[in-house]
Amino acid sequence: MKKHIYLLAAFFGLGVGMSQAQVQKGSVLIKNATVLTVTKGNLESSDVLVENGVITQIGKNLTAPAGITAIDATGKYVMPGIIDAHSHVGLDVVNEASAPITAEIRMKDVVNPQDLGIYRALAGGVTISHAMHGSANVVGGQNATLKHRWGSEDPAAIIMQDAPRTIKFALGENPTRVHGRGNGIQPRSRMGVEAVIRNGFNEAIQYKKGWEKYNLAKAQKGNILTPPAYSERLQTLVDILDGKIIIHCHSYRADEIYMLINVIKDFNIKKVVFQHTNEGFKVAPEIAEYTMGASVFADWWAYKMEVYYSTAYNAAILQKNGAITSINSDSAELIRHLYHEAGKTQRYGGLTDEEALAMITINPAKQLGIEDKVGSIEVGKQADLVIFEGHPLSSYAVPQMTFVDGVKYFDRKADKEDQRQFVAATEMVEPIFLRANEEAHRCMQDVDKYFEAFQGAFMNGKQ
Amino acid sequence: MKRILKSFCAALLALLPVVAVAQIDGEFVKPRNGKFLLKNATVVTVTKGTLKNTSVLLENGKISQVGTTLSSEGAEVIDCTGMFIYPGIIDGGTRLGLVEVSSVPETVDYSDVGNVTPNMQALTTVNPNSEAIGVTRVSGVTTVLTVPTGGLFPGTAALINLNGYTPDQMYGGFKAVAMTFPSSGRRGRFDRRSDEDIKKDGEKAMKEANDIWENAKSYLELKKSGAELTYYPEMDQLSKVIAGELSLLIEVNSASDILNAIKWVEGKNIKVIFTGVAEGWRVAEQIAKAKIPVVTGPIQDLPTRGSDRYDTPYANAGMLAKAGVKVALRTDEEENVRNLPFHAAFAAAYGLGKEEALKAVTINPAEIFGVADQYGSVEAGKRANLIVSTGDPFETRSQIHHVFIDGYRIPMSNRHIRLYQEFLERSPGLKTN
Amino acid sequence: MNKQFLKAGMLGLLVAGWLNQAAWAQSDPTGKRRVTSTYAITNATVVKAPGDPGSKATILIKDGIILGVGASLTLPKEAKVIPGDSLYVYPGFIDGAGTMGISKPKEVERPKDFVSSTPPDEVAGITPWRMATDTYSGASTQVDDWRKAGFTLSQVVPDGGMLPGKTALVFLGEPKTTNILKVNAAAAANFRSSRGMYPATLAGVMAKFRDIYQNTALVIEHERMFATSAGIKRPQTSPTHTAFMPVVQKQLPVLFAAGSELEIRRAIALQKELGFKLILMGLENYESVIGVIKSSNTPVLIKLQVPDDKSIKSQKAEGVTEATKAQYSRVKESYDNALKQAAQLEKAGIPFGFSTADAKAADVQKTLNTMISNGLSEKAALAALTTNPAAILGISSMAGTLEKGKLANLVVTTDTLFKEESQIKYVISDGYVFDYEIKKKSVKTEAKPEGAPNGVQVEGVWEYSSETPAGSSGGEITLKRENGVLGGSITFDDPSGAGKATAPIKNASLSGKTLSFEFDVAAGGMSLTVAISGEINGKIMEGSLSVPQMGSFPVKATLSSPSQAN
Repeated sequence: MKKHIYLLAAFFGLGVGMSQAQVQKGSVLIKNATVLTVTKGNLESSDVLVENGVITQIGKNLTAPAGITAIDATGKYVMPGIIDAHSHVGLDVVNEASAPITAEIRMKDVVNPQDLGIYRALAGGVTISHAMHGSANVVGGQNATLKHRWGSEDPAAIIMQDAPRTIKFALGENPTRVHGRGNGIQPRSRMGVEAVIRNGFNEAIQYKKGWEKYNLAKAQKGNILTPPAYSERLQTLVDILDGKIIIHCHSYRADEIYMLINVIKDFNIKKVVFQHTNEGFKVAPEIAEYTMGASVFADWWAYKMEVYYSTAYNAAILQKNGAITSINSDSAELIRHLYHEAGKTQRYGGLTDEEALAMITINPAKQLGIEDKVGSIEVGKQADLVIFEGHPLSSYAVPQMTFVDGVKYFDRKADKEDQRQFVAATEMVEPIFLRANEEAHRCMQDVDKYFEAFQGAFMNGKQ
Repeated sequence: MKRILKSFCAALLALLPVVAVAQIDGEFVKPRNGKFLLKNATVVTVTKGTLKNTSVLLENGKISQVGTTLSSEGAEVIDCTGMFIYPGIIDGGTRLGLVEVSSVPETVDYSDVGNVTPNMQALTTVNPNSEAIGVTRVSGVTTVLTVPTGGLFPGTAALINLNGYTPDQMYGGFKAVAMTFPSSGRRGRFDRRSDEDIKKDGEKAMKEANDIWENAKSYLELKKSGAELTYYPEMDQLSKVIAGELSLLIEVNSASDILNAIKWVEGKNIKVIFTGVAEGWRVAEQIAKAKIPVVTGPIQDLPTRGSDRYDTPYANAGMLAKAGVKVALRTDEEENVRNLPFHAAFAAAYGLGKEEALKAVTINPAEIFGVADQYGSVEAGKRANLIVSTGDPFETRSQIHHVFIDGYRIPMSNRHIRLYQEFLERSPGLKTN
Repeated sequence: MNKQFLKAGMLGLLVAGWLNQAAWAQSDPTGKRRVTSTYAITNATVVKAPGDPGSKATILIKDGIILGVGASLTLPKEAKVIPGDSLYVYPGFIDGAGTMGISKPKEVERPKDFVSSTPPDEVAGITPWRMATDTYSGASTQVDDWRKAGFTLSQVVPDGGMLPGKTALVFLGEPKTTNILKVNAAAAANFRSSRGMYPATLAGVMAKFRDIYQNTALVIEHERMFATSAGIKRPQTSPTHTAFMPVVQKQLPVLFAAGSELEIRRAIALQKELGFKLILMGLENYESVIGVIKSSNTPVLIKLQVPDDKSIKSQKAEGVTEATKAQYSRVKESYDNALKQAAQLEKAGIPFGFSTADAKAADVQKTLNTMISNGLSEKAALAALTTNPAAILGISSMAGTLEKGKLANLVVTTDTLFKEESQIKYVISDGYVFDYEIKKKSVKTEAKPEGAPNGVQVEGVWEYSSETPAGSSGGEITLKRENGVLGGSITFDDPSGAGKATAPIKNASLSGKTLSFEFDVAAGGMSLTVAISGEINGKIMEGSLSVPQMGSFPVKATLSSPSQAN
């Protein structure tokens, strides 16, 4: 396929450009399925028509316009493409763990469209993932929202260009371990974490003023004011204060969640989503009132001290308190069955099908600021769709086909097994990775590398 | 009694977790022993089919009768109309009870110093009050094998029931020495050894294993001949495997290692169970031919090779079973053992089938561990380990309403549920007082 | 621009001439000084430029300059005649970018008040002010090897971190002269992160690059204001900003090392964002980015090496499963594609050059022939060795072809260049003639350095470096033999903190050319035994460093101060 695109581009004299990456858009008619729209109820024996990457019609007995393939989905379920609000799939680097604030780091710089994790996520129905910086720093890097257009070689082609900017924050054990205990600088405590954030924002305000002053003076005749130093780090914090960036904050304990809510109130910041949020249930009313909600694990707990007092009922409590709630993976393994993870909210809290499905579709879309484009099956939205054998919330559900922008990127019955995009010309024996799932959780990836190569062997991959 | 029924109905309506006995302030609900009649359920016996409108009588810690017309005399009757009874679910490999918080080394007890430590006993280390035990059992997992990990012979695993205040009360009647078979696979991304180095390391480790084995054999022979040997707990424990008193759990995962392990076992005349077996599907025929039972898992896992089909870990158990291997499942987990039923569902959906998947977490592990006379099915005479659920326990939408372990009625509560009860409608709420 | 280059070139030549004089004056008790700087290769088949079919001619050079190429040249009396009747003459090869003769600069010590989040530039591998010439030695055996392979000019790239310094154009000429053609050819850049400090990852490197670039632009503005108006506060310009100014002013290209497709895309993306002049070097996998290279007009210097065929040769025809066969075919496909890449660049109309960095001089002929048998035209191959790098380096007016007035850089072969049996007889660089023995079959002439057993010098101080997942690490290995037993010590980056740790060497042995030894590293409360094993060739040892449970990493060591023979 890649050659195909390249040849086409060459034929038209286009050259496969960098930022104007070629994004494929497809057309398809899915017929006679149970359509789980998420936002507009369930439609029995209905069809979904996709033209040029967009959902154009939903209804019964639609006919395929000329040239558009129809897929018979009788007895099957169609749902919106699953959105993972916390992932590290498709990234060559996760943590720039060398400073407590690294807002200038861009995950878009290190997107790797050939990461096999993207295909494996597609095979679990995930069409969009939020490729995040890790949790080593209080203010980490800027994240990338990815569309899983598998087979693209150009990172720009899998970055969702129309998604708003987001940035990673992290509270609690990870930043205090890396910087305070690891490097002997602030923060070593949760007090320090708050101080680092407040210091950062106040510096950013000064930075903004400095530039405003200079830009005004510059135009004057006889100006003697020299340009201040440039800092993308502080400029990014300015952009957060100006409401241009959504904060996604790794957090566990209720106290630190409440702390950040107070900080954002003081700085008049509205766009905050809490990530992991294991003790979010304790401050669910506050999260519901002041933030864009929480993105949580379905049932992870006890892997470290700050998640020992967790409950698998967290998502249900948050949901019932009115917080926007999503279920995420933070793992190259879990991302393959988020539909099942969402199902656990029915075991733990008895959520309805619609509430459970919203947690992996429209709710994460809201938290990523893309709910007007994706996250539900509605006319006019981007055609990211999954066809399931069995209801997606059943433990026995099996994803059959996954579409992004109407293009089919996963087909359980038709795909070849070996999906590797790149094989080294000198590979002697294919490496075997045992216990790969222990390394699937990559929130702290690169941190151990940062500390020392030799220590790598002893560090546990978890969280 | 009425109160129980009322809470039942409420639960059915709201699908909330059920505290079988309502609590009053300061009261703690304890597991309760007694005579119980579980009335009018659909009983999925596993070994004797599925029986509609059937009741199960529990007394003296055992299933005393399964039938349609059982007397309720002297028994606490629990109406199970519309409900399903399943045998208690068994996890064939965990670290449950051996660890409390994985990142806090002081609470991690499944591994000790040394390469040959078969004398390390998981059973004595099990913390009966581990939070994870309460969290696990309400999911229907009543019995687990808890296994030390680490070196070549990391210790002795034990089957435990998830109720009791001392390890001895929990002990399920099966122990086995664990062995980590020398591996030719990579340990993950950080493992950058060359292929040759991996091979060399593997051969070296294999030779070491053989030397230790020979040592244990000599120990046994000399002891049998009446020699007085100096204290040597490692060899003493290993010699029990050679003598056939204990089974050997061989953790082995890559295809070539599995073949090596089959060869290694040949002619040793010992009781062997393979565990892990991630690449078992590549050599399923050979495992079946060797008649070695397998405890495989986790099922929700990543493929071992980049070129593998994405679903091989899901499909592995099914392919093994199809080749004729006796398969049990495991989570290989600590705090998330409660997900075993879901792992089983994935194995079922990707080739094992629902019926075989259910066996793989009930009667199969019971048979593999040699305790099928007590565990693994709903039959008169077996231990009263069973669960009552609103439906298929592998489905997330089903609720488990009762769990019985050794005849004890387990309170359907744990910290997760208590936190839910406290915080669902927090008081005070948003307003500051 | 050209004038500037020429000026630099002339200066270089002048300096070279002066040194000649100073070193040897009139008498030379070594008897090695050449008697003339004028040479004539007579009646040879001369290929003046890529695409020239070649014609019989005589070529006359003097003082490092080609005086003429033609059939009827008048030869001056001082011309030493080299009969070229059976020989073929080509323009000397130009290495677009390489590291021959470059040694690692001394590691900068961390200051006492070191903070990993704000390290001094110099410690963090940001040293754009450094000069390749400071760490270059024309007397290096690597330079000998590449000259022997036909190379006469090289852009040498300094070793170091993300911005290691300025490259230089050097002749592969007489080692006793300076050999510098241009000292400030490009600013070298790598996606190489610092160890244990900012920028610690690729993402950090890209952010830091932007930061340096943007702040340099501001410093330029500040300095402009300071120079033109009174009352302006003093600019506090750092060496980094000063050195980076010509990059921001687009006078100096950035020579970015980018081996993989993603690195190529990332470097081009940075270029598009910031607007500097970019040259890419060391391209290894680039099949899918040929369109990107083309549309961005980025000059490229591909790695002069094709993948080794060890894995292809090890593929067994029989007794393997279908799954293994499928693996084989993926590797084979990848291998075949890798060989065809150069031809695809040609087809796309991209005039590429070569980079010798990380390539083996001994493989040059094999590499070129492999590329040619996979579709690269001989003309394009020769262009990639001569005119293309000359154009990319901005020295077309003086190098790349055989014309009157150009630099006397030539390769003289026994047959047409790309014939398998063709051998290099002479290489002329900077007008100096290097005469090579023509091998009949396989003649081995390995000199035995005195005093070293088996001809292998092992004792002394070795400087080593190793690439690990944590970045590169390195230190010194000190080896000595006491009472016949080999021992010593090794320094390495201390795993538990800053600085270097030292450990005694144990179990050291030398068998044949293979040196192996072990040492213990304490990390995280545990002790690890690390083994190093490698083959010694001259002053270079290459091998692997292996850490239990983690694997092997390539290690390379150079014998920096050999012990005197005992």
